[in-house]
Amino acid sequence: MLRLAPALLLLVLAVAIPLAGASAQERARQRSPAPATARLSFIGLADKAQVPAKLTVRFAISGMEVVPAGQAVRNGGHHHLLIDTELPPLDQPIPSDFNHVHFGGGQTEAEIALTPGKHTLQLLFADHNHVPHDPPIMSERITVEVPAIPAEKPRSAAAPGARVFFIDLQDGATIPSRAKIRFGAEGITVTPAGISSPNGGHHHLLVDTELPALDREIPSDFNHLHFGRGQTEVELSLPPGEHTLQLLMGDHEHVPHDPPVVSQRIRVRVVGDAQASVATPPAPHAHGAGPARTPSPNDAAVYFVYPRDGDVIYPTSTIRFGLRNMGVAPAGVAKPNTGHHHLLVDTGPPSFDAPIPSDLNHIHFGGGQTEYRLTLPNGRHTLQLLLADENHLPYDPPVISQRITVIVAPGGPNARRRR
Amino acid sequence: MLRTRITAAGLFALMAWQGILQDAAAQTPTRSPAPPGAQVYFHYPIDGLSVPERFTVRIGLRGMGVAPAGVNHARTGHHHLLIDTDPGPPDQPIPSDYNNIHLGNGQTEVVVTLPKGRHTLQLLLGDYNHTPHNPPVMSQKITVNVR
Repeated sequence: MLRLAPALLLLVLAVAIPLAGASAQERARQRSPAPATARLSFIGLADKAQVPAKLTVRFAISGMEVVPAGQAVRNGGHHHLLIDTELPPLDQPIPSDFNHVHFGGGQTEAEIALTPGKHTLQLLFADHNHVPHDPPIMSERITVEVPAIPAEKPRSAAAPGARVFFIDLQDGATIPSRAKIRFGAEGITVTPAGISSPNGGHHHLLVDTELPALDREIPSDFNHLHFGRGQTEVELSLPPGEHTLQLLMGDHEHVPHDPPVVSQRIRVRVVGDAQASVATPPAPHAHGAGPARTPSPNDAAVYFVYPRDGDVIYPTSTIRFGLRNMGVAPAGVAKPNTGHHHLLVDTGPPSFDAPIPSDLNHIHFGGGQTEYRLTLPNGRHTLQLLLADENHLPYDPPVISQRITVIVAPGGPNARRRR
Repeated sequence: MLRTRITAAGLFALMAWQGILQDAAAQTPTRSPAPPGAQVYFHYPIDGLSVPERFTVRIGLRGMGVAPAGVNHARTGHHHLLIDTDPGPPDQPIPSDYNNIHLGNGQTEVVVTLPKGRHTLQLLLGDYNHTPHNPPVMSQKITVNVR
């Protein structure tokens, strides 16, 4: 009986969700005219070329203009990259999936990742409604090949006797919840990630986790901390209790060496004097008597999941926030590496040394929300996300998104603006 | 005819479930209530998608907020990613293992590395005690194809 009820709830959800998607596909759309002289091609990418698995593809259009999706401009449109697929129906909006990549922001290049083997690439230009022009403006369909790599990444060799170890930290030690952990290396050189050097590598700290697979890249998450800049210490924040720590060296591609250079897995006991240590974070950039800003972790970033820069959106739209390498906590909750979102509407970033103001242009999400239904008047607006700590103070350096521009139109993304 | 029967069965199941919960409430810790309409969902990936071995799962949450584990605020919880497993009993804390990934620091995305093949993913929100809310806030179970 216990099993049945969640299944039923799911059923209700499953019925409710797809209703939105299944409309307005079949009907032929009006196509925008295109000049006969327009040409579309790849830049510096020839048919039958050998390419790396990760490559930047650049697009060249002549005789037409690149404008973001949603803006109806005569002889204008935006790029689509078709990967491993035939041309879609030309009187329909181009599908949006892994095989049909849209560049609705007006981008003219893209970084793509391909699996080893042969792939086809083709460019197709489309109008503000994602419908190809009449006649269709498209490039040649080219075939590129990504050379096969051995299933197992070649591992860099480590000198015999190379080792990594914790400095001043023994198995069974007791440490505060915010502690500086120092790493040492012997017989191997510490080099930043990305730089290939014989017998070199960078540290990874494994927190509360087993050794990862040794024949591939070490994962990057809260349990596998990378020190890709060649750092040899870290200020680690851990909740009170028992934890395990282990060091693992990775080469320039984050793959462990052969044989792996790994430390003993040690146990530490974290004692909860959290209040005392968290209340006095190091604040090298605090100005004057202002409250101290919390340092932000390496590589933390906040970004818009929806909308993207240049999107045309409905007057009432759900704005969705993404956060990388940090967590979300309600305002007032002091927990390392967490913060809450602020949405800045039609305003530049505020002063980073004062709490973020609270008004119609600075929307606070003190309840830990990660999305918001925003209503805006028609026209152009700017949106920006700024993360702040428990006191509404931006981090140091600030964790702030790109400032994006959206166009609010009554018909949303399907708006047809006649000229 | 069929529909009324299903509705009736559904109502019966729900009533029975509520009854069981009230019985169980005596010996299990009280579960945090979830506001009506709260929903957790995948921004990425979506059902049926082919993904590389290492990919980022991005999580959306409607009608509630995110708080790290241990923080007892109304209308908040933290995410759990269930890989190739079903949710356990809704009145028990979500286990912590390789199939039940806790995002206890309030993360809203997580990088996972999975072997090639088909895998199922499901999101389940837990309260400050890692226990699902009442009613549980969980996503549809999706299937991804790791290539």
